[in-house]
Amino acid sequence: MTHLTRRNLMKAAAATGLAGALGSRFAVAADEQLGITLVIPSPIGDVGWGHALSAGLDPVKAAYGDKVRVTILENIAEGPDADRIMNKTVADGNKFLIAGSFGYQNGALQIARRDPSVTVLHASGFQVAPNFSPFAAKYFQGSYLLGMAAAALSKTGKLGSVSAFAIPELITTINAFTLGAQAVKPDIEVSVVWVNSWFDPAKEQEAAKALIAQQCDVIFSNAQDTPSVISACEEAGVYAFNLNSSMKKYAPKTYLGCVSTDWSPFFKASVDAHFAGTFKGANTFLGVADKVVKVVDWNPDIPADTMTKIKELEAKIADGTFSPFTGPITKADGSEGVASGATMPDGEIVAMDWHVKGVATPLPK
Amino acid sequence: MSIPVFAFLPGLVRRERASLAATLLAPLGALLVAIVLNLGLYMVMGRNPLAVLHAMVLEPFLSWASFSEVLLKTGPLLLIAQGLAIGFRAKVFNIGAEGQFILGAIFASAIPIWFPQATGGWIWPAMLLLGAIGGALWASITAFWRVRLNANEILVSLMLSLVAAQFLYYLLLGPWKDPNGFNFPQSVMFQYDAMVPTLITGTRVNVSLLIALAWSVAAWVFMQKSFIGYKLQVGGLAPRAAGYAGFNEGWAIWLSLLIGGFAAGLAGAAEVAGPLGQLQRSISTGYGYAAIIVAYIGGLHPIGIVISSVVMAVIYIGGDNAMVSANLPIAAVRVFQGSLLLAYLIAVAFVRYRLEWPHAAHRSPS
Repeated sequence: MTHLTRRNLMKAAAATGLAGALGSRFAVAADEQLGITLVIPSPIGDVGWGHALSAGLDPVKAAYGDKVRVTILENIAEGPDADRIMNKTVADGNKFLIAGSFGYQNGALQIARRDPSVTVLHASGFQVAPNFSPFAAKYFQGSYLLGMAAAALSKTGKLGSVSAFAIPELITTINAFTLGAQAVKPDIEVSVVWVNSWFDPAKEQEAAKALIAQQCDVIFSNAQDTPSVISACEEAGVYAFNLNSSMKKYAPKTYLGCVSTDWSPFFKASVDAHFAGTFKGANTFLGVADKVVKVVDWNPDIPADTMTKIKELEAKIADGTFSPFTGPITKADGSEGVASGATMPDGEIVAMDWHVKGVATPLPK
Repeated sequence: MSIPVFAFLPGLVRRERASLAATLLAPLGALLVAIVLNLGLYMVMGRNPLAVLHAMVLEPFLSWASFSEVLLKTGPLLLIAQGLAIGFRAKVFNIGAEGQFILGAIFASAIPIWFPQATGGWIWPAMLLLGAIGGALWASITAFWRVRLNANEILVSLMLSLVAAQFLYYLLLGPWKDPNGFNFPQSVMFQYDAMVPTLITGTRVNVSLLIALAWSVAAWVFMQKSFIGYKLQVGGLAPRAAGYAGFNEGWAIWLSLLIGGFAAGLAGAAEVAGPLGQLQRSISTGYGYAAIIVAYIGGLHPIGIVISSVVMAVIYIGGDNAMVSANLPIAAVRVFQGSLLLAYLIAVAFVRYRLEWPHAAHRSPS
């Protein structure tokens, strides 16, 4: 894993954007329209991952107007079809590609290697090239805060999570959720159901009901692109929260909050850099400090003293004085995860493949 | 012939013999009707129908890059449809080619997954062969249930496709998961020797297209020239007559399903050893089902199927083009495929039957 340079990248992008405007020889002719294509595996819908990505392009459109042309291709299965579709859109002259799923990695990387004039942003991957940046959000910063709220509201001491795939990104959100909850109630337990899909409303709803039946009274909908978990929880009168974009309208009473992502600062900086001819591929890992991760729609039921603590920690996360993965952290198998006083570096967080103590469900191996 | 309330409606009367011209024109007419209907739909959706038509029908042929993608897509459709058509003519309805395709992909992947360091020119042919055997084995479950327990082969083969998908997910989430793949459900990338050689440099078209064409020739010889093929057809057309002639029905079912499964398994193997290069969840985007349409549009005839598989591949590639450049939703492609099959079935009904209006209903010699 290369160095993670989210803030540096933005500073660099902003600075070089200026230099580009002054006349870099790589700069794109001012009258040339930039085609931006976003490819996502599920429908855009009104909520979820794809929706957050497409909404992140709105400020880019607003800032550049006719200078950019945005195409959004939804429901593209990962595989040979996705490769062809990405090839096609680049061959059509769209020079800025956002590959919105891990599974697009190989095809998108080939495109970047073949044509250096193309800029590619790739979601949740690990490969880097001069014109190819993987990007991911530090959802775990938000899920830690919601874990604190969940523990304060839980009566049974059991929390649950319906989770998409057992990839590091989602393992960390569960771990941080558990650690946040333990910060309030040390004995709390978290059960997980892996549905192995980004988009499967029936399965997700069933998983939520199974967790509720096991006495879990706060449910974390971990990376679902549908509100099925949230609405099942509203029906059962159980608190629930999710990632990416707010689903409050599906659970007006029991919606705990949303770890929302606003990709626009990152997209805008990358497009600026592309126009300036200064784009440089880097592993970008963006969080609260970058204004990409934001917790919104807090439920008013959260006790005031807990809320005060949450707000304090949120400020500390934003200024970099607190990380959820600060030791001592014990792994679920009892061994030491993070030594006392140490903070897990980003490079290890993005590759995390173990659960913390308190996650009752073993990780699928 | 019809319920009194609908007495004003015409009835269908079987023609003595279907004319050859009408038989040949039916798929063309169906294609035309489907195009017109779908263009209407695109207009209702507020798209420019000419732009969509250009992207869908012309663009696949305008550049070598996109035509090579048509050929790439033709391969699996052609293989599966030829195999299915043999069964369909024997009236054995194998609807589970999707599952047989998945098993073929799994069997073929076993070699590079278990022997990732292996090298040599034998690997990809062995993978294709193993895949074909895997598909045939999966189909043999259906054959067993049909022949021994008289279970409906349509249901059994269809349900087994769902089982096959779950089996694939199990492998990818468990034993066959790439250990360095961040827990994502996919296998390792295959080594170079586990890939079917490319046929045309610079494209993704590989040798499996030649295999599909050879398979088509073999299917033609088998169905039109061989005695076994003849027996299968008679069994489909006139099961009782076939029975009196001593043709065994159970044997025909076994043969039909094994051939269909073999072909679908081969196609699955060629897909993982071709454009995919690894085993993953979305290995098939419905090839097994699309091939059913291909087989019928091709009139269940080996030559017709060669043409219809190219047409279907153009619809796929053209549909993707329309999505990228004319902003059409992906579902529109499925609607096109579905309306094409529907239009064809209606057209075929008119080739075999004619309308008889009520006032002329009193015994007109046909």
